[in-house]
Amino acid sequence: MKPDRWLPRLQDELAQAWAVAVKDVKVYYLQPGMIMFGFMMPFFMFFSFSVRREMAAELGVARLLALTTFFTAAAAGPFIIPLERRLGTYDRLLAAPMSLLTLLLGKAAVGAFFAIVVSAIALVIGVAVLGVAIARPWLLAVGILLGSFSFSTLGLIFGSIPTRNPGDVQMPSTLLRWGLLFISGVFIPLPEMIPAARIVAYLSPLTYAQDLMNHAVPGVGLLNPWLDIGVLLLTGILFLLPSLKMHRRSRKLGY
Amino acid sequence: MSCAIEVNDLTKFYGRPETGVLAVDHISFEVRRGEIFGFLGPNGAGKSTTQRMLTTLLEPTEGHIVINGHNLAHDAYPVKRQMGLVPEESNVYAELTAWDNLMFTAKLYRMPRSERTDRAQALLETFGLWEKRKVKVANFSKGMRRRLSIAMAIIHKPSLLFLDEPTPGLDAQSARTIQNLVRQLNAEGTTIFLTTHQIEEANQLCDRVAIINHGQIAAIDTPEQLKRTFRRVQSVEVSMEPHGQPLPDIQAELPEATSIVRQGDKWRLYTKDPALLLPQVMEYAHSHKLRVVSLSTLGPSLEDVFLEITGRQIGTVHHQTPATVSQQQNAKQTVAADET
Ligand SMILES: Nc1ncnc2c1ncn2[C@@H]1O[C@H](COP(=O)(O)OP(=O)(O)OP(=O)(O)O)[C@@H](O)[C@H]1O
Ligand SMILES: [Mg+2]
Repeated sequence: MKPDRWLPRLQDELAQAWAVAVKDVKVYYLQPGMIMFGFMMPFFMFFSFSVRREMAAELGVARLLALTTFFTAAAAGPFIIPLERRLGTYDRLLAAPMSLLTLLLGKAAVGAFFAIVVSAIALVIGVAVLGVAIARPWLLAVGILLGSFSFSTLGLIFGSIPTRNPGDVQMPSTLLRWGLLFISGVFIPLPEMIPAARIVAYLSPLTYAQDLMNHAVPGVGLLNPWLDIGVLLLTGILFLLPSLKMHRRSRKLGY
Repeated sequence: MSCAIEVNDLTKFYGRPETGVLAVDHISFEVRRGEIFGFLGPNGAGKSTTQRMLTTLLEPTEGHIVINGHNLAHDAYPVKRQMGLVPEESNVYAELTAWDNLMFTAKLYRMPRSERTDRAQALLETFGLWEKRKVKVANFSKGMRRRLSIAMAIIHKPSLLFLDEPTPGLDAQSARTIQNLVRQLNAEGTTIFLTTHQIEEANQLCDRVAIINHGQIAAIDTPEQLKRTFRRVQSVEVSMEPHGQPLPDIQAELPEATSIVRQGDKWRLYTKDPALLLPQVMEYAHSHKLRVVSLSTLGPSLEDVFLEITGRQIGTVHHQTPATVSQQQNAKQTVAADET
């Protein structure tokens, strides 16, 4: 196709994804489910597992940021999509002249946006209240962006399960999030893990987000930060594939 | 290319082969450009399933759909731009205002800013919602939500509008408002696909009506033609005291009754002409020393019409739900209006 054919279409699709994201932010930021699972959860997790231990403030902030990107971003998809299906508003989006990928990118942007806002709040607390210095601000910005994107598309996988009941999705998505949380190098730093556990940890994208935060805030990580960035970007894209597939399946099942 | 919609052998099977439901069973029909096409059938007939397939929301198990010359299976994008969709439940965002709901939809259809504000204002005014434009839809009544969902469906000026049962659950006034809006849109050139289970509504609004039941189309015709069929399956309902008595020779003594069915303490007598049957009933009661405690003429229920059209024995439905009763009453009015 010639650029004058696909360029306007691309502009359209981007604008539509943007419209979906902005609408979702407006509609869902005040919903109890979103506040509970998205906005409060990372802080609960942080305080229940970290506060008692002696820990440098820099490490604490790095951990908190990994948690905010992870929990907030991954909470949006499994909450919003089944709810929209139940209320029938999802049909409006599915019937609109845009591609499925555009819709999913719009939905991914919502989770990412919430995660970025909550992380920014956590960061402000860390810097202003705890007086934490950020070793590499650029890496921090990239880490929050990519982490939020990757975990948001991870959440979309659960949101794409063909059902109209948010309750059906909450269970598996919570299980997976908790599972990932405990195998990743968040609460036990990678160097302190036994080798078998470390191999498992490398399977989780959260490990790379945490490592990137460690590079960014205290300035010491274990892996190459480029590897962290590469993994988050790649998983963010790969996680879209099962969602696309399940959406096509929903169209057969009639959800 | 005079057809807005061409459907061939469209089929939808839900679920596994052993336990699933054949919701739509190889139906074929055409909707002409500029007409109001009614899709009339009782609950569970497959109306919504068909509409969801026509609007790309559901993938058919078999069959072809061509809309405005585009095959929906591999060329849905241009079709999606040209169609508007009002689903069974008003799918509006309760947390947004009426205005924001419209703006969001307009953005999904990529309308330029000035056009979308002008159009939204015009629509809100036409639909009597302009004063409420800044109110969150959560505070809207059912009728207001329905009107807003129609406004959202037509903000991008679709050439083809799908409405799934737009009036049930609304009061008579709101229902009439919506029917008038549909007429007006059609007069402005929009092709309309209207799903309904109300014979009355189909009669009043549609140029042609398809009657669907159990996933199959029994007939497609003008309301005028169908009304002839409807008239063949009118009935008289009579209750006579003392109850529970066997009624000897009733079939023979009521030649105008085409079929007689007992329903609880009432008798349902199907006929082509209630005016001829009524005196026979009175005569029968008199000669058998029965007292007629109630007697009423009923229009056809959809189920009756369907059976009549498909040539099956009428009167096989022995139970009545409140829904069918109200349909019959609607139909009765229609027939009465037609007779005058
Ligand atoms: N997603 C689904 N999965 C399984 N079966 C379904 C699904 N949707 C509808 N059905 C079944 O398909 C049949 C047709 O349903 P449909 O909703 O199309 O009927 P309808 O004519 O719109 O009825 P109503 O007047 O109640 O809206 C029904 O038996 C229904 O139970
Ligand atoms: Mg229906």
